[in-house]
Amino acid sequence: MPTIRYRLNGRPQQYDGDPTQPLLWHLRDDLGLIGSKFGCGIGACGACTVHLNGDAARSCLLPVSALADADVRTIEGLAQGDELHPLQRAWIDHDVAQCGYCQAGQIMAAAALLEKHPTPNEEQINAAMSGICRCGTYSRMRKAIASVVADGESA
Amino acid sequence: MSAQSRRTFLRSGLKLSGLLIAVSSAPTRLLAEQAQEQISAGQIGAVLRFDEQGLATLLVPTPDMGQGMMTTSAQILADELDLDLDRVQVQLNSAIERYDAQGQATSGEFVQGAGGSLSTMVSWPQLRRAAAYARALLVSAAAAHWNAPQSQLETRAGRVHHRGNGASIGYAELVAAASQEHSTLRPNNVEPKRLAQLTRVGRDQRNVHARQIATGQPLFAGDLSVPGMLHAVIRRCPHLNGSVQSFDASAAEAMPGVVRVLPFPRVPEDRKQWRQRAAGIAVVAKSHWQALKAAQALSIDWDGSLAVEDDSVILHTKCMKALSDGEFQQLHQHGDVEAALAASAHQVDLSYYHPHWAHTCMEPHNAIADVRADSAEIWVGNQNALGVVNAVAEATGLRANQVKVNIQRMGTGFGRKWPTDYVTEAALISQQVGAPVKLQWTREDEIEQDYYNPLGAYRIRAGVDSDGNLSAWHFRVASDALLRTAAQDLPIGLVPASLGESLQIPNNISRGAWRGPQHNVAGWVIQSTLDELAEQAGIDSLQFLLRLYSGKAPLRSPNWPFVDIDTARHVALLEKVAAEADWGKSLPAGRGQGIAVHQTFHSIAAHVVEVEMRGERDFIVHRVTSAIDCGLVINPLGVRAQVEGGVIDGICAAKYGEVRFDKGVPVSNNFNSYRKLRYAEAPRRIDVHLMDHGDSEPRGTGETALPPVIPALTNAIYAASGKRVRRLPLLRAEG
Repeated sequence: MPTIRYRLNGRPQQYDGDPTQPLLWHLRDDLGLIGSKFGCGIGACGACTVHLNGDAARSCLLPVSALADADVRTIEGLAQGDELHPLQRAWIDHDVAQCGYCQAGQIMAAAALLEKHPTPNEEQINAAMSGICRCGTYSRMRKAIASVVADGESA
Repeated sequence: MSAQSRRTFLRSGLKLSGLLIAVSSAPTRLLAEQAQEQISAGQIGAVLRFDEQGLATLLVPTPDMGQGMMTTSAQILADELDLDLDRVQVQLNSAIERYDAQGQATSGEFVQGAGGSLSTMVSWPQLRRAAAYARALLVSAAAAHWNAPQSQLETRAGRVHHRGNGASIGYAELVAAASQEHSTLRPNNVEPKRLAQLTRVGRDQRNVHARQIATGQPLFAGDLSVPGMLHAVIRRCPHLNGSVQSFDASAAEAMPGVVRVLPFPRVPEDRKQWRQRAAGIAVVAKSHWQALKAAQALSIDWDGSLAVEDDSVILHTKCMKALSDGEFQQLHQHGDVEAALAASAHQVDLSYYHPHWAHTCMEPHNAIADVRADSAEIWVGNQNALGVVNAVAEATGLRANQVKVNIQRMGTGFGRKWPTDYVTEAALISQQVGAPVKLQWTREDEIEQDYYNPLGAYRIRAGVDSDGNLSAWHFRVASDALLRTAAQDLPIGLVPASLGESLQIPNNISRGAWRGPQHNVAGWVIQSTLDELAEQAGIDSLQFLLRLYSGKAPLRSPNWPFVDIDTARHVALLEKVAAEADWGKSLPAGRGQGIAVHQTFHSIAAHVVEVEMRGERDFIVHRVTSAIDCGLVINPLGVRAQVEGGVIDGICAAKYGEVRFDKGVPVSNNFNSYRKLRYAEAPRRIDVHLMDHGDSEPRGTGETALPPVIPALTNAIYAASGKRVRRLPLLRAEG
């Protein structure tokens, strides 16, 4: 099997295993990066969301073979050292999480959106926030995202 | 207990030194040298520990599944201890338990599970008493240190202050003396603070794990690894109560990484009995992906013959028909309901139906088991630590005191993480392969092998007298469960003539507790009927409800937990949400408001929902105005979160909740066929109001908001569209 080379959270990474293995299980089982969660295995719930070349991607459906030369970012790579990403900060300030299981995926979805559209309209936010939260924290997510957008506008 | 257990106990990170208090309504101080023995011997349910740095740690087996138990506990302790919240840690600890004469783990005084919205309610007095005793021991040590009278001393921010000379000393410096303190201080003589003295209770407190969650730190069982751990996946029988006829594992066994293929029979063998474990074939491999791929390569012939009649269309027809010709069990009877109906000025005769709901826990079930010849260690998110200990002991043949369970945070539970099927599966696989094993269910497993919320078919005949008062109530429910709650609930007790009847029609569909068990659907049927009655009598819905609940004597609920119901509290809730939502305001065409109230266990909630129709059946919720009466509020931010979540979960269940069965096979088995409410559909605004009746005790919150939000929604849909909703889900597949 050919070696697959890609970048993970800014560092070079290589993989020689089963190329059909989804990125999610590569992250969790091979690399111990457990922030991305398994929720459905069909790309429907978003708990496994990571960034692939800057776009939100469902890692449960993404075979490692698709990663050649790609840039992958996970929740573990979102903060700059101890400096949390503004969305992580906002998630804490607005006390979004209840059980917390889906939230890494939700934050990654929102982060990809704001990188592309720093001042998104409601339709863009609704489209980007396409995951499922079974605790029903949507209204607090809405407030958290709005606060980061507002801070960006005033900065 | 064995040396193994002590070793693993220490592995969990507790160093047994410092000041140790057994958490109880009669707390005791544990001497460090004895505490380890007592804990290992299973004599203590929860421990509060002060270390030499003055850090307080609560080791507690009550699990957190998003209901905020760990945050609330820290808040209660910090308040009673006069300690900053960042100096209080709450750690989930093993189910350290008592064992009865038969060797079964049994519940001590401290609550071990999360169910019935009881976590905070039950632990509140014990946490306060333990913390008050700890603080008193620290003060007593300071008094000895200064040789000062205790009346001169007070505690603030982790220090004891001497009012006379202004000196102060930190808890850290007092811990050693307090743990040895020989004073005559007895816990019975130590009273917790008066409510008025509490400064943290009643104030917003964010989730203590917020940062770990936002940065993707390990908190859940599936995030953990044990050295030498293998991975398992089970291909489970897709047929209800089915079994394996034959299978061919040769292709799977030849695949990379595969270690073993193990058949799993259904337990118990008698398929008429409640399913403890489903039939299936387990594949054990070096990685999850290898196990999953190999499981898909198994060739299995299933026997699904038992359940072919269990089909969504047939179930509906059968239950609806039973409403008119079934032999019902009478659960409640008061007065002459037929005479009262005949004498009433306005009558309704209504039928309702809802199908089964799945839990769809955000985290599909998983567990890690390490079973050896004379011990088992388990890492799992489960609502019932005790149940896990006993189930693993029974499945493996070990004694309960050889089983150590490390309870982890849960990615929601909703009642489904109370059963232990996924834990005993992991334990049995580990036992058979002789290595630690992580078992991971797929989403399809989680829905197909659920213990569903039961279906229900209802017929209600009710009447209103010429003064607009409810005068007759005949309530019938047919279900695959024996639904008692709805047939005995209010307005029974408030009406001069009433009859409640239930009929169970058995099938092969396994059922279990689902957030607000029985109440989740009782609230919808009852409050929808009342709304129809109000309209029939030409009375505004709010006025009709106020008249029903006003001026009634308190009554004892016939449903668990058999509390006294004071309907003046229902009235206060209705008045609150009506005022806050501007009930009855004029709205454009296609918009409407609905109102409902319902008591679930100890607590009560009311909502006004405002919807706008989007086409024939779809809708958008603009605003939900909610009020909850849950006694003393410890964490308003957390209670609001539970209400917001209950509102979303209720709207979600009403809109999409339906597991469809096709000839005994659950065919809605992932989020493409079993839809859930998403961000874009969530209410634009949820305003939560917390009632304050000056209560001194907290009550439950996790399940309270859900039952009344469904009728508030469907009543609003009627107001907006003119169409009554008598069958759920709102967006159901045809048929």
